[in-house]
Amino acid sequence: MDFEGKTAVVTGGARGIGRGIALELAQRGSNVVIADMDGDAARDVVAEIKAGGTQSYFCETDVTQQWSTDDMVEVAIEEFGQLDVLVNNAGVGGAPGFTTRKVPTVEDWQATFDVNVFGIVNATQSVESYMVERGYGKIVNIASIAGRGGRPGFATYGASKAAAINVSQAWAYKLAPHGVNVNTVCPGLIWTPLWESIGEWRSSTDQQSSGLTPRQIFQRTVAESVPLGREQTVEDVGKAVAFLASDRARSITGQALNVDGGIRQN
Amino acid sequence: MVTGGATGIGRAIALKLADKGASVMIADINEEAAEKTAAEVRDISGNSATFVTDVTNVAACEGLAQATIENLGSADFLVNNAGVAGSAGWQSRSHSTEEDWKQTYQVNVIGMSNVTSVFKPQMTKRRSGRIVNLASIAGREGRPSLAHYSASKAAVISLTQSTALELARFNITVNAICPGLLWTPMWEQVGDRYAHDNPAFKGMNPREVFDSMIAERIPMQKEQTPEDIADTVAFFVSDDAKNITGQALNVDGGFFMR
Ligand SMILES: NC(=O)c1ccc[n+]([C@@H]2O[C@H](COP(=O)([O-])OP(=O)(O)OC[C@H]3O[C@@H](n4cnc5c(N)ncnc54)[C@H](O)[C@@H]3O)[C@@H](O)[C@H]2O)c1
Ligand SMILES: NC(=O)c1ccc[n+]([C@@H]2O[C@H](COP(=O)([O-])OP(=O)(O)OC[C@H]3O[C@@H](n4cnc5c(N)ncnc54)[C@H](O)[C@@H]3O)[C@@H](O)[C@H]2O)c1
Repeated sequence: MDFEGKTAVVTGGARGIGRGIALELAQRGSNVVIADMDGDAARDVVAEIKAGGTQSYFCETDVTQQWSTDDMVEVAIEEFGQLDVLVNNAGVGGAPGFTTRKVPTVEDWQATFDVNVFGIVNATQSVESYMVERGYGKIVNIASIAGRGGRPGFATYGASKAAAINVSQAWAYKLAPHGVNVNTVCPGLIWTPLWESIGEWRSSTDQQSSGLTPRQIFQRTVAESVPLGREQTVEDVGKAVAFLASDRARSITGQALNVDGGIRQN
Repeated sequence: MVTGGATGIGRAIALKLADKGASVMIADINEEAAEKTAAEVRDISGNSATFVTDVTNVAACEGLAQATIENLGSADFLVNNAGVAGSAGWQSRSHSTEEDWKQTYQVNVIGMSNVTSVFKPQMTKRRSGRIVNLASIAGREGRPSLAHYSASKAAVISLTQSTALELARFNITVNAICPGLLWTPMWEQVGDRYAHDNPAFKGMNPREVFDSMIAERIPMQKEQTPEDIADTVAFFVSDDAKNITGQALNVDGGFFMR
């Protein structure tokens, strides 16, 4: 097993894609720290992982705060003796209430960049000296195919995800001589609470989508845009993360891999 | 089914897939080396066959597809790995000739399309299949020398993308791998060529050229290995990658990030 005896931290691991990543890494032998703000959901994931036979721990974390990601890294090392894998997955689509606003406010821009970009920067800064000292580490960041090219509508989110890809490359360069790989996964269309809120946003702000449920909007988007003709799953992202975080990908760094059924080529 | 599976990267791919339990058909122009690799595969997974194939020859490719079915059953995975960097003597020239252009396109691009075409029916019929094409980081951006090789590898990436879109509705994924710098017989010759036509490498032997490229251009400060590439092929053909298609992934120690 790729992660026998290893420890991973997954930010935003309480639900959605982060939960999928956490369960996948655990299945492959890893102990997993769930770093999230949502304690109730996180504790369910912790219990699920423990039932599967590896260790898990909830660390209440707000990735927008450097002190909090410092604490997250410290807790992981204290709890499990080492930290091998950091998955920066926490992400948002805007400030609270964004689903009702046709045009994003400055608060939406700020919240999106705070979590989706500075969240990665903070957690990476918290862990890099430890990984460099050890000469070993794997960092996988979750961006989005929205970061692969600008589109009207969700410019806040797309711009933050483009920044996430760029930031990953910067740290990949910096940490490459020290045995630390930094890569990115760009998910396509995955039915999670986040996509449900994107569906709500479309249904309340886009005339062509009004009257449709978020799930209907999601399914229409899948049908229109995915060459393989099906939605992607949290398991798909978990498996791609598991590959990039494993030693099988030892010579891969600074890359962004689309897991999107072929929506965007790279 | 692995083209160019006799030596170098192709051999490592054949052995890795065998290690995961696959039977492997090895298609190569080099019969002796192909037989040797097939014997190694048999020691691992028990099942292997070879078929002498020049991928530029359509009739030979058709024979290969038939032989694969007869010997091992229809192919689940196709790995288009056979490649060349020029026509005979390319490594000691300081410019690309028309023959270099023709030969690289014949093998790297048209050969890839030939092989893909003959295996398509086996995969579309079962509505499943995985195709992995060997491109190169040379196909990601222009280079001061070997323009014909870089252009052929850019074409491989483009061919990968088109084939991915064409075959997506049959549940067939098509991805490319762009290896960075690997010390194989091919790179030994590349080193010769660079010492010839790039002033920065004047007077160096091929290994010195290779090492100085690693030092200057690879953030991880390490060469890549055939096993690195084989591990990535194994990922793309596995169930884990069933929703990944149309992608080219650089396995290059960070040489070129995208
Ligand atoms: N769902 C999709 O289709 C899709 C597509 C592309 C990319 N993504 C990206 O994948 C990641 C996960 O998305 P999801 O769909 O699972 O979203 P989600 O909203 O279902 O889950 C996000 C998790 O992150 C946590 N979180 C949010 N802000 C945080 C903070 N400041 N600190 C710590 N935790 C925080 C939330 O509590 C939640 O548990 C995000 O980065 C998202 O942008 C999702
Ligand atoms: N070595 C590197 O650094 C490097 C870097 C990037 C990409 N690549 C690519 O990886 C692939 C494998 O390269 P390698 O370094 O192992 O090369 P190699 O020369 O060691 O092996 C190539 C194999 O392909 C076979 N072959 C050549 N022409 C053929 C034809 N017409 N029909 C059938 N088989 C044929 C050869 O007999 C040989 O077994 C190539 O596509 C190459 O362009 C290599």
